[in-house]
Amino acid sequence: MIETGKVSAQILRPRRAGSGNNATLILALAFLASALLPLAVRAEDPPNPVCTACHNEDGNSVVPDYPKIAGLDVAYFTKQIADFKKFKRVSEIMGPIATQIADSEIELLAAYYSKQKRISGVVTDQNLAAKGLMIYAEGIVDNAVPACGGCHGEKGEGANNFPRLAGQHASYTNTQLLNFKNQVRNNDARKVMRAIAMRMTEQDMQAVSEYITSLKGE
Amino acid sequence: MRALLFFALALLPASAVLADTPAMVNQGIGSKGYVWNRLTPERAEAVRKKGDVALGQEAYRGCRGCHKQDAFGRVDGIYPRLTGQYASVIIKQLTDIRAGLRLNPKMEPFISFDAITVDEIADIAAFLSQATTIKENGKGPGDQLALGESVYVQKGCVKCHGSRGEGNGEKLYPALAAQHYSYLLREMELIKTMARGNSHPDMVTSLREVSPNDMEAMADFLSRLPDRRQSVAKAPGK
Ligand code: HEC
Ligand code: HEC
Ligand code: HEC
Ligand code: HEC
Repeated sequence: MIETGKVSAQILRPRRAGSGNNATLILALAFLASALLPLAVRAEDPPNPVCTACHNEDGNSVVPDYPKIAGLDVAYFTKQIADFKKFKRVSEIMGPIATQIADSEIELLAAYYSKQKRISGVVTDQNLAAKGLMIYAEGIVDNAVPACGGCHGEKGEGANNFPRLAGQHASYTNTQLLNFKNQVRNNDARKVMRAIAMRMTEQDMQAVSEYITSLKGE
Repeated sequence: MRALLFFALALLPASAVLADTPAMVNQGIGSKGYVWNRLTPERAEAVRKKGDVALGQEAYRGCRGCHKQDAFGRVDGIYPRLTGQYASVIIKQLTDIRAGLRLNPKMEPFISFDAITVDEIADIAAFLSQATTIKENGKGPGDQLALGESVYVQKGCVKCHGSRGEGNGEKLYPALAAQHYSYLLREMELIKTMARGNSHPDMVTSLREVSPNDMEAMADFLSRLPDRRQSVAKAPGK
């Protein structure tokens, strides 16, 4: 099993955001992963090699399209897996994998990843990040977008069902915001993220995502 | 005709921002049978509950993005301060909005029935009445304070809002002292044109006789009064 994890990780690592066209490979991997999963999930560290293949051993994925899950709060982590399972949060990749995780194992995985330290990302466009800082800290008053820090914490550390955003890959954050706006992701507690994303332009989303990747969460 | 005008005005703030937020049905002032202090079932429920401060602090997280962590809002008045307001008034305003009696499309998604429960309204009100922050609020230019005070007295605003702008929690009259200037001015305009939704009818009548300049003077005067918790003056029905 562990071998498989390593191999898939190697296949996946060279992939960069925007390289497109890897859908088949990803789907194949997801399928493979979900087939392996029932055997693979165990309580001991390091965690399930299947997760490791995409999210890395410490939960700090290096592939921009796979979210960093290190440091996610147990409450949020558990809710997302439950939502993936019920296809309330729809993902071609995580959906089938989640259906294979036994309820008893979710708790262990959540506990493990919540204890991992989130590693922040690298800002490539300083101007964009500066605009993002304004949005993150002050919101966009003209469009009644509340400051992200109000709910997600000033440093992006999150709490309970308000996820940690700090250090996340900019492309993942950006995709989630677009998904909320287009109602592709509609599992958000209290419907607040959809309302917020609908008030944002694509430029706003890019800027705030670029800033968020720099946050350390402390 | 009046209803039509009101409807058009009601849509104004909504269209600017929130094309996607379904407009709430307005049943505020100007609509048939409006009673400013009607006890809606939800308000009755919220008032009956004993709010929990700790739970209120948690629920208030969803408000911090606009009203700020210390509930002091923004000095430019875009978001009002909530500290120093009576719990009874906070509950009335929130439940009025949810009942379609007061319009606030900017805030609507965050206090909708999806977003918070009636219990949380009671909790948040309890938490806010404990919040102690008092700092520099947004003020006007300060050049017509005497005029502001005399208009405020002449137009009978004192009857309800008190000589120190302290309001009256039992009677549901908001405290106005030390609120941000631009917010006070905006509310007066919204109340005057009946675009706010909820309002005491006598206040609309009085405000209709007030010129824009006198309104600015009053807002400035009020913004410079000390927070009601600081003015030792006999505040009725704290
Ligand atoms: C084939 C790659 C892949 C594998 C294997 C994988 N994931 Fe994921 N995971 C993803 C992707 C892609 C997403 C983002 C889904 C989306 O777009 O909504 C995701 C999202 C998540 C999220 C939500 C993160 C957030 O911030 O909302 C959690 C939690 C998660 N995965 C946990 C796991 C666990 C636990 C395992 C192992 C059982 C696992 N994943 C295996 C690719 C993978
Ligand atoms: C009113 C509170 C609130 C505010 C303000 C807020 N969020 Fe959220 N956000 C949430 C909640 C709750 C979730 C979790 C949704 C769920 O249950 O899946 C979330 C989820 C997210 C996610 C998905 C995270 C992941 O790991 O998949 C992103 C990205 C996000 N928010 C970005 C933002 C940005 C950017 C802003 C500011 C423009 C913002 N949020 C403001 C409450 C808020
Ligand atoms: C998107 C920004 C935003 C968020 C988030 C928000 N509000 Fe507001 N709130 C406003 C605005 C704007 C006003 C003033 C509306 C007006 O001008 O009439 C307001 C007014 C109020 C008032 C009326 C104050 C008064 O003096 O009459 C209360 C009470 C209130 N908000 C409570 C809350 C609570 C509680 C939450 C969280 C559950 C919250 N708000 C979240 C924007 C927001
Ligand atoms: C008969 C009592 C009464 C009188 C007189 C009155 N008000 Fe009011 N005022 C209210 C009530 C009640 C509210 C809250 C509206 C509601 O809950 O329906 C209010 C709200 C306000 C608000 C908005 C406060 C906030 O936090 O949003 C302002 C500003 C205000 N009044 C100013 C005035 C001024 C200026 C005058 C004099 C021209 C005046 N009022 C006269 C009862 C009164």
